[in-house]
Amino acid sequence: MSLRVLNPNAEVLNKSAALHMNINAAKGLQDVLRTNLGPKGTIKMLVGGAGDIKLTKDGNTLLKEMQIQNPTAIMIARTAVAQDDTSGDGTTSTVLFIGELMKQSERCIEEGTHPRFLVDGFEVAKRATLEFLEKFKTPVVMGDEPDREMLKMVARTTLRTKLYEGLADQLTDIVLNAVLCVRQKDEPIDLFMVEIMHMRHKFDVDTHLIEGLVLDHGSRHPDMKRRAENCYILTANVSLEYEKSEINAGFFYSNAEQREKMVSAERRQVDERVKKIIELKNKVCSGTDKNFVVINQKGIDPPSLDLLARAGIIALRRAKRRNMERLVLACGGEAINSVDDLTEDCLGWAGLVYEHVLGEEKYTFVENVKNPHSCTILIKGPNDHTIAQIKDAVRDGLRSVKNTVEDEAVVLGAGAFEMAAKKHLMDNVKKTVKGRAQLGVAAFADALLVIPKTLAENSGLDTQDVIVALENEHDRGLVVGLNHHSGEPVDPQMEGIFDNYSVKRQIINSGPIIASQLLLVDEVIRAGRNMRKPT
Amino acid sequence: MVGLGAMPGYGIQSMLKEGHKHLSGLDEAVLKNIEACRELSAITRTSLGPNGMNKMVINHLDKLFITNDAATIVNELEVQHPAAKLLVLAARAQQAEIGDGANLTISFAGELLEKAEELIRMGLHPSEIIIGYNKAIIKVLEVLEDLVEKGSENMDVRNKEEVVLRMKSAVASKQFGQEDVLCSLVADACMQVCPKNPANFNVDNVRVAKLVGGGLHNSSVVRGMVLKNDAVGSIKKVEKAKVAVFAGGVDTAATETKGTVLIHSAEQLENYAKTEEAKVEELIKAVADSGAKVIVSGAAVGDMALHFCERYKLMVLKISSKFELRRFCRTTGAIALLKLSQPNADELGYADSVSVEEIGGARVTVVRNEEGGNSVATVLLRGSTDSILDDLERAVDDGVNTYKSMCRDSRIIPGAAATEIELAKRLKEFSLKETGLDQYAISKFAESFELVPRTLSENAGLGAMEIISSLYAEHAGGNARVGIDLEEGACKDVSITKIWDLYVTKSFALKYAADAVCTVLRVDQIIMAKPAGGPRPPQQGAMDED
Repeated sequence: MSLRVLNPNAEVLNKSAALHMNINAAKGLQDVLRTNLGPKGTIKMLVGGAGDIKLTKDGNTLLKEMQIQNPTAIMIARTAVAQDDTSGDGTTSTVLFIGELMKQSERCIEEGTHPRFLVDGFEVAKRATLEFLEKFKTPVVMGDEPDREMLKMVARTTLRTKLYEGLADQLTDIVLNAVLCVRQKDEPIDLFMVEIMHMRHKFDVDTHLIEGLVLDHGSRHPDMKRRAENCYILTANVSLEYEKSEINAGFFYSNAEQREKMVSAERRQVDERVKKIIELKNKVCSGTDKNFVVINQKGIDPPSLDLLARAGIIALRRAKRRNMERLVLACGGEAINSVDDLTEDCLGWAGLVYEHVLGEEKYTFVENVKNPHSCTILIKGPNDHTIAQIKDAVRDGLRSVKNTVEDEAVVLGAGAFEMAAKKHLMDNVKKTVKGRAQLGVAAFADALLVIPKTLAENSGLDTQDVIVALENEHDRGLVVGLNHHSGEPVDPQMEGIFDNYSVKRQIINSGPIIASQLLLVDEVIRAGRNMRKPT
Repeated sequence: MVGLGAMPGYGIQSMLKEGHKHLSGLDEAVLKNIEACRELSAITRTSLGPNGMNKMVINHLDKLFITNDAATIVNELEVQHPAAKLLVLAARAQQAEIGDGANLTISFAGELLEKAEELIRMGLHPSEIIIGYNKAIIKVLEVLEDLVEKGSENMDVRNKEEVVLRMKSAVASKQFGQEDVLCSLVADACMQVCPKNPANFNVDNVRVAKLVGGGLHNSSVVRGMVLKNDAVGSIKKVEKAKVAVFAGGVDTAATETKGTVLIHSAEQLENYAKTEEAKVEELIKAVADSGAKVIVSGAAVGDMALHFCERYKLMVLKISSKFELRRFCRTTGAIALLKLSQPNADELGYADSVSVEEIGGARVTVVRNEEGGNSVATVLLRGSTDSILDDLERAVDDGVNTYKSMCRDSRIIPGAAATEIELAKRLKEFSLKETGLDQYAISKFAESFELVPRTLSENAGLGAMEIISSLYAEHAGGNARVGIDLEEGACKDVSITKIWDLYVTKSFALKYAADAVCTVLRVDQIIMAKPAGGPRPPQQGAMDED
C-alpha cells in the first residue's frame, strides 16, 4: 500500500473496511441507546471510577459518562451532545436516527449502490422533510398569557421519557411554573434565573418549587434568628472583614495601652461600615415588627457578625454571585457595592426568611417575595443518584418549555411525525428525484421509522404489527401515533403528546449530515508519533 | 485503544475505554444485582430484633466494631457492588431521616428482591414486578395508617411512661435486657431538654459521655454538660456561679497586622512588661467585678492571664471545640464574647455547680444546671470496655432519635411482628382482587413481610413456621394486635407485652426499601468505569465555621 511506503508505522483501513467500521460503530452505539428511548425505556446504571453510582435514562448523560473510544462513535456522540446543547433534548433520537441511516445505507451499498448516490438522496430527503415539518407543526400562539395546557403537555412528554410517570407528572407543573415565573415580556427567557437546589432529604416526590430563593448556607452566628418574617433584604457586595494592607506594614508600640489602641483602630474602618448598615436598619425597622437581613457576597468576619447579631440583623456571608443577581430579581431592591448612601430604596423585601438545618448543612430560604422573577426548584431525594437523575430531567424539562415558548410551535409526538414524514417522502418526494438518488430518499424514509419502531420495541410490543397498523391509519389520511400501553394507534393530540419543534428540526438537520460524512469516508488512517501507545 | 489493524469488534464493549465493564440483560445485570443485594441482607438479617446477633466488623482503619446496629455495619462494610450500594444508600437515608429502622430497610429490601427473582424466573418482566410492587407499597401505607393505635396521635412528650412505651422496642432491639435502664435514662434526658414546642426538639442537645469502668447501673443523667477535661487553674469546684464565656481566648489582645514592640532603653523594657501586666490585670479584674466566678475560654489561656485568674479566684475552663463551646453557652445561657473585656450582666451565664470530678480514673468537669437553661442534658454511660460503651451509645442515639420522631408524629402501631403479619394478610387479600400480572408481584410483596416474624423467631431460636402459622391464625380471628412474645415463644397480644413501634419509623423504612428495590429492578444495563487507582482523596472536612 502506498501509505505504508510513506510511513511504515501508520495503520490504515480502506474501501469497504473503513465503511464497515463506521457502520458498525454507528450500529453499536444505536444498540446501547436503543433501550433508553421513550417513556418505557429502561435505566442504565453507570459506575464511575471511584465507585459512585449514577442512574440515567437520558441519552446525553449516558454519552457523556460512557467515555467512548471508538473514533466514529465519538463523532456521533458529539453530534448528539450538540443536539443537547442547542435544544436540550432528543439525544437518543439523534443517535438512533444516525444508526438507522447507516444501517439502511449498508443494505443499499451491499447491493452495489455507490455511497455518493445515497448521500445525494439524503440531501434531497432532508430538505423535503424540513419543508414538510414546517407544514406539519402545530403553531402555538404566545401572547401575553402563554397557553398553559399546551406547555404542560410538552413538558410532560419530555419528562416522562426521563423519569417514571408519577414523578414526571409532578415535575411537569413545577417546571412549567418555574419557566413562567422567570419569563419577562419581550425578553428571552433566562433559565439561569431558575435556581436548582438539592437537599438529601425525604423522598423524590417531595421536590417542589419555591417562589423565592434557597441559599445553601446559613448565618454564621449562633445568636442570630433562625426565622424572621417581614424582612427587608439588603443585597450587598461589601467586604465586612478586616483586610490586611497590600504593603508589608507593621505596628510599633511601646506599651500595652498603645497596643490596645492599635487593635481598636485597626478595626475602625470595618466597624464603621457595619454601623452604617445598622443605622439603616434602625431607620426602617424601629418601632415595627419588621426584620432586616443582610446577604453579602463578600465576607463578614466574626466581630462584624457579632455587631450585626446584637443589632438583631440576620447576616449571610459569601453568597454566590449568581445568587446575588437572582436575589435582586426575586426580592427587588438593588445590589449595593458601597454602604455610603444607603436608602430604603436599595432594600428588597421578603415575607419569610428562615434557616433549615439538615445534618451538617444549612439552607436559608427566602420566601414570599413580592414580585418574583426568579425562583428555585428544590429537589429532594433520599440519595445522590436520585437527585442527579431528577436534576438532569428538570434541566431538560425547563429547556423544552423554553423552546416551545420561543418556537411558538410544537410537533405531534409518539412517532406520528415520523410516520407522516415517511409517507410524504415515499408518496410525493421520491417521484420528483431522478436516478439512483431515489434509493437515498427511500433509505432516509425507512430510517425515520426507527423512532416508532423502537418505541414499540421498548414497550414490549410487536414491531411489525405496530408499524403496519400505524401505516394503515396514515394511508387513510389520519395522523396517528403509538399508544405505548396498548400498542394501538392513537391520536397524539388527544393524548397530549407533543414534541419540541426545534428538537425535531435539529435531529433532521444534523442526522443526515453526519451520516453522509461517515458514508463518504473511504480510508481511515491512524498515523503520527503520538497516536500509538509505546509498545 | 482500539487497534485499527484488525476490524474493531462489534458492540459496545469495543467502544469503551480499556478496563470498562459492561453488563446488560436479565441474567447478567438484573439477577446478579439481586444476588448481591441478597448477600448484603443476609448479613444484616441475623441482627434484626432483640435477639439479633452481634457482628464484629473491623474497618479499614483497623477500628473494631461490635454491634448489631445495621446502619453501623453497612457503613463500615464499604460495600462495592453498585446494586448493593443502592440498599446501603436507602439504609443511610433511613438512618439520617429517622435514626432507627435501618436494619428493617435492608432486610426487607433483600427479601423483596429475593421474591422478585422468583418472579423473574417464573417469566415475569421486571417492569411488571415494579408496577406490582408500587401498587403494593401504596396499599401498605394505607393499611399501615389503618393499623395506627387509636388515641396514640396525641401524647404528652413529657410523660415518662408514654415516652418509654414508644422508645422501648427501638432500644430493646439494640440492647436487649437492658432496655429498661437505658430507656429511663434516655427518656429523662430527652424530657429535660424538650423545648416548649416539642417539634423543635434537637437531637444535639442530648449528649453522651462515655467513661470506661463501672457498669450500666452506674450510668446517670446529668442536667448540664460533662466536659472530658480538667480545669486549667487550681480552682476545681465552684457553686452557684456566674459564667463568662470568651470565644477568642483569654490572653492579651493582638493586632491582625504584625506588631513590633519598640523599645529604646532598659527602662522601657521594664515598663512595657509592667503595662502589659497592668492591662491583663485590669481586664481580669473587670471580669471578676462583673460577678463571674468561672471563665470559659475557646482558645488558649495565657500564663499571665491565668495567674490573675487565680488571684481573683476565678475558675478557668478551656473548651477548644467550637460546637462544644456553643453548647456550653446554651447550657448556661451565656453569650460568647469575642474579646476579653468586661461582660454585661446579660452576657453572663449561670451554672449551679461546676466541678472537676474523678470518674473511673478520668478527670471530667461536670457542669450542672438544675434550674435555668435546661437546654442540654448528658447521659453519662459507664461500661467495662470501649466497644460496649460504643454500642450503648448507639442504643442511646437510637432512643434519642426515636424521641425526636415521636415529638413530630407520636402515632404507634403494634410491634413484635404483629403489624407485619396483618399487612401480609391484608395485602394478600388485596392481591386477589387485582387483575393482570401484577397480582403475582403484590402477593410476593405480602409474603415478604413474613421475613420479620421469621427472623425474629429464628434469632430467638424458636420454630419459625409454627409461630408464623399461629400468628396468621390469630390474625384471621380478627385480632390485629397479636405478635410474638420472644421470651415465652408464644403469640401474645402486644397490648399485654407492651411492644409498640413508631408509625413513622415503619412507614419510612418500608418506603425506602420499596424505592430501592424498584430502582434495582429498573436497571438493565450497568456500565462500570475502571476503578480509579491511587490513594483515596482526603475526606472533605466540614465547611469553615465560626
